[in-house]
Amino acid sequence: MNRRRWNQLLLRYPFLFALILLSVAILVNAILQPTFFTRESLNNNMRVFLPLMILAVGQAVVILGGGIDISVGGILSIVNTILATQVGLNGSPEKMWIYVGLSLLAGLAAGSLNGFFVSVLRLQPIITTYATSFLFFGIALYILPNPGGGIPQAISGLYRNTTPLGIPLAIYVIVLILLGWYYLRHSRYGRYLYAVGGKAEAAYETGVPVVGIQFSTYVISGLMAAIAGIAMSMLTGSGNADIGSAMTLNSVTAVVIGGTAFSGGVGGIAGPIIGAMTLQMIMNIISFANIDTWWQTFVNALIIVIALALPGLLNLIQGRKK
Amino acid sequence: MTVLLSAQNIVKRYGGVIALSDGNLEVSSGEVVALVGANGSGKSTLSKIINGVVVLDGGQLLLDGVPVQFPSPQAARKMGIATVFQELSLIPQMSIAENIWLTREPLHPTGTVDQKEVTERTKRLLKLFEGTFKTELTPDVSVSSLQPDEKQIIEILKAISVDPRILILDEATASLDSRQVSRLFELVATWKLSGKAIIFVSHRMEEIFRIADTYSVLRNGKTVGSGKIKEVTEKELVNLMIEKASVFTHARQNRAGAKELAQKPVYLTVNALATDVLRGVNLQVRRGELLGLGGLMGQGQRELLRSIFGYIHYHGTINILGKDVHYRHPADAIKDRTAFVPGDRGKEGLLYIRSILENILLPSWKEFGVPTRMKKAHEVAVGVGESLNLKMAGLDEPVSSLSGGNAQKVVIGKWLKRKPQLLLLDDPTKGVDVGTKAEFYKLLANLCDEGKTIIFYSSDDEELVGLCDRILVMHDGNIRTELVDRMITKRNLVAASLGASEEEQHE
Repeated sequence: MNRRRWNQLLLRYPFLFALILLSVAILVNAILQPTFFTRESLNNNMRVFLPLMILAVGQAVVILGGGIDISVGGILSIVNTILATQVGLNGSPEKMWIYVGLSLLAGLAAGSLNGFFVSVLRLQPIITTYATSFLFFGIALYILPNPGGGIPQAISGLYRNTTPLGIPLAIYVIVLILLGWYYLRHSRYGRYLYAVGGKAEAAYETGVPVVGIQFSTYVISGLMAAIAGIAMSMLTGSGNADIGSAMTLNSVTAVVIGGTAFSGGVGGIAGPIIGAMTLQMIMNIISFANIDTWWQTFVNALIIVIALALPGLLNLIQGRKK
Repeated sequence: MTVLLSAQNIVKRYGGVIALSDGNLEVSSGEVVALVGANGSGKSTLSKIINGVVVLDGGQLLLDGVPVQFPSPQAARKMGIATVFQELSLIPQMSIAENIWLTREPLHPTGTVDQKEVTERTKRLLKLFEGTFKTELTPDVSVSSLQPDEKQIIEILKAISVDPRILILDEATASLDSRQVSRLFELVATWKLSGKAIIFVSHRMEEIFRIADTYSVLRNGKTVGSGKIKEVTEKELVNLMIEKASVFTHARQNRAGAKELAQKPVYLTVNALATDVLRGVNLQVRRGELLGLGGLMGQGQRELLRSIFGYIHYHGTINILGKDVHYRHPADAIKDRTAFVPGDRGKEGLLYIRSILENILLPSWKEFGVPTRMKKAHEVAVGVGESLNLKMAGLDEPVSSLSGGNAQKVVIGKWLKRKPQLLLLDDPTKGVDVGTKAEFYKLLANLCDEGKTIIFYSSDDEELVGLCDRILVMHDGNIRTELVDRMITKRNLVAASLGASEEEQHE
């Protein structure tokens, strides 16, 4: 009976697994790094975590709607290279904000391209966005063939060191995103999103604009990737066309740890945000423990496999089939 | 009465296949029209044209005498046409309330959904079927946790929540039990009074005569007859549906009585079988017996068949020909010559996109060696196809090209090849047309005469009464009543299923 209640809890709060994992990761982190809970180190960590968290939110919306977006890393790279080459280390803040606006437009455009292929032309999401990711990385490399460039230090400093009321800027961003999500989820759009991800055919028969909803998820994902790219650029202060390549798989992993089902229609945004934090916390542990960096990839892969297999394993242990 | 909706000379082609060549239907407000026809006659297509799910290729639709076009389901719904779909249009991950009001959620001025209002309205709708559910439903229950009959009712409520002028009930009673059907018919009567027009698509003759005012018969995509239901008999209607005048007389001839049965050897014994649903079922089947399982929907009939087939984890003992067995996987059961014909053929019985040949030979590929002797395989498949009188364009066509009845024949055909000794049938005739049913009944009779043992669950009471040597009526995961010999009548079966009414009689 205990196991059953646990299953029900997981169904209602899909991010419970991520929360437990996060607590463990925080514990280990705190042991390895005694200054972990100081204000400074908290801000340090959060500003590093923020880009992936934003990326995971976009990814989660797409997966909730029944798709997947493998091109988010590419979009992030495009934005990073645009800012690093066009603004420059000595650019004025005004110029920076203009290009931030343009970067958002670039994200919307890239997302629209994905959305068009997947929803209007009905191509396989995983293959389509895998293909467009090459396109996006190609564009990023064209803009900035070798790592370099940068954005004004003042702007990076703004991102790194702003802590209103002593709380890291990243927390404000996350709260804003959660508020936005709370509204969306309780609006008609939210219902449509879950309906399309749950059973697109049934949603269509009921009169849900399936194509429009699917399209919108990729646009949201593109926009989120652009915002993540802006945050990443402010964090690093420099440009690198390859910066997003490792982040795509991480965004998917974060969503999976966060309890959002690959099949769509189940889960939310809080889980993936926690998932993204957990993932990077684990990476922190690895680097603090002086383990080779290839372990990061290994652990990352292990987590995604376990997270995917866990529901099946639980069923197998219980010896029941559905 | 004025004609509300009229479909005239409707034509619909899917690729090269003509689904409808001359479909006609007329319905007035305050009237129930029965749209009848064998499987593959075009009933579903015609109703899908009326509700805008598919777009017609020819002919026209008139609403209030004005030509209309429905490019999408929303367009039809805006004009007041709602449908209870046969393949359910519910989203399993969402709650009852969310499903019913999807796309029509009452909103706060801020744009968020008015959850309180949604819950209120859903409760009011659920009241319509109050007392016919096994457990009372609340608006926030997830649809994935519902039984098929409950899902069907939610589907009905979803359609009626639009307050439509025209309501299409497409096989809406197929998964309901008799109490739920009665409640639905009471509701239909009140909807008629309020001026709604109802299009009733069904295979069940008895229900058609109970509820319809007029009828329209489709055969091979053509409307071949229509008129007032009072002026037609069941036999005439069936004759219109099927070209050959094979009639409703499929009662099995040489059925075994209790005495004869007792002389046959016991094939299967089940003792104290328990699962999540079953509560210690005991039963015995003898060789050559056709044992029926009856009762209301979802009383554990499916779980019983599935446990015997090793598909569900269970406690208790199963004994075949004196040997205790405990199958952990259907493959074990298949080795012991047990076959299972699932009710949901699309999901469990067939590989829809693969060819008929592959489906028939799926359990028996081993026989044809490596590399596969395709010529021999083809011959065998042709033989199976012929013995079942399979109507198909060719063995290499995908199963999805077959009508429901013919597809079900393939499910049975793939097992016959392996000469099973025990057949477990899970509501195999659901959604199958009258002509194919008759052939299917003959097949069952032959199998029993050959000494095969059959356990047969059906949601169609007439079928059970007409075919079985013995009927076990299930209730709440247990066997409530056993009907043998002369006890096997429809009245007894229905009474035993309902339980309550039987107890009243005793008092």
